Amino acid sequence: MSKPHYDREHHAKKATGIGDPQCFKGEAGPAKFKVGDKVRIKDLPDIFYSRTQVYTRGAPATVAELVYESPAAEDESWDNTDNPVWFYSVVFKQKDLWPDYPDAFANDTVETELPERWLEPL
Amino acid sequence: MAEKHKPAPMVDEVSEFEVLEIAVRELAIEKGLFTAEDHQHWTEYMHTLGPLPAARLVAKAWLDPEYKKLAVKDGVKASLDVGIDWVNSMPTKFGTPSDYCNLRVLEDTPKLKHVVVCTLCSCYPRPILGQSPEWYRTPNYRRRLVRWPRQVLAEFGLQLPEDVEVRVEDSNQKSRFIVLPVRPEGTEGWTEDQLAEIVTRDCLIGVAVPRPGKTVNDPRPVRPAINPYKH
Repeated sequence: MSKPHYDREHHAKKATGIGDPQCFKGEAGPAKFKVGDKVRIKDLPDIFYSRTQVYTRGAPATVAELVYESPAAEDESWDNTDNPVWFYSVVFKQKDLWPDYPDAFANDTVETELPERWLEPL
Repeated sequence: MAEKHKPAPMVDEVSEFEVLEIAVRELAIEKGLFTAEDHQHWTEYMHTLGPLPAARLVAKAWLDPEYKKLAVKDGVKASLDVGIDWVNSMPTKFGTPSDYCNLRVLEDTPKLKHVVVCTLCSCYPRPILGQSPEWYRTPNYRRRLVRWPRQVLAEFGLQLPEDVEVRVEDSNQKSRFIVLPVRPEGTEGWTEDQLAEIVTRDCLIGVAVPRPGKTVNDPRPVRPAINPYKH
């Protein structure tokens, strides 16, 4: 029986000379959210791998920038690059993340990037 | 007598992580994932990196408003002017999982102060800033900065007024970040070289602000652990 062929260098071949995440540009289709949209971070299961911080789950945020297209970390950690999605830079009010954050610093924020699948409209 | 004059060992002991790294590296070479020459090439590349190009980028942005716009819009393109090609200067020519090719330059204003952390690991813009300082990788910094940013910044000697928004940038995906601080007073008429000197690594991470005459990072206070690990 022959071994199934798996091209371990498929990503390197695609990204060489272009860069990652630049090599996924244009593959995610139309973006679901735009700058200024209010979103909530979903609390999806993450049995194996995720880069969505637990402290962001369920919190409201505002889209600050559409940053790039790329497979989500949950897929890419298994070398699955078939479904690139839009990534958004979202801004949280500190008060929304930590209810006892001091009122004197109500303007303070946290910004982070998340793939589209983790966001739902608010 | 001779016992007493034995030279001190150069390294006391090899850590478990170092043993693991050597084992994985040798296995990878044996399996043909990369060659020993590839490994040497990478190691030597990593040793060429440092914070000077990022300091230069900030100094140029302070002097040239057009360049500042470019830096904020497209950090990767702006990096080319300071000699950093995010894609092609890396031996792989496409980045790595720890050095993706997307740089965002975070512009501070008098009412907004950025500071960078990676709460999940220790993502850091190494191609333009070199290796991260040890404290940046500690769970202490990573877990506390998002939760108590002002307190952590105060430990670095940076106390910010209430009306300044502190924005913690949690670097968790494929972008890497440097901070473009506000140009300090007292630097009027300075050249690019003079300006680049006061933009220290700590200013680029966001835990310090540039000041005329201050060209090195402050020493980090080291306090003994309350519950030290017993070896």
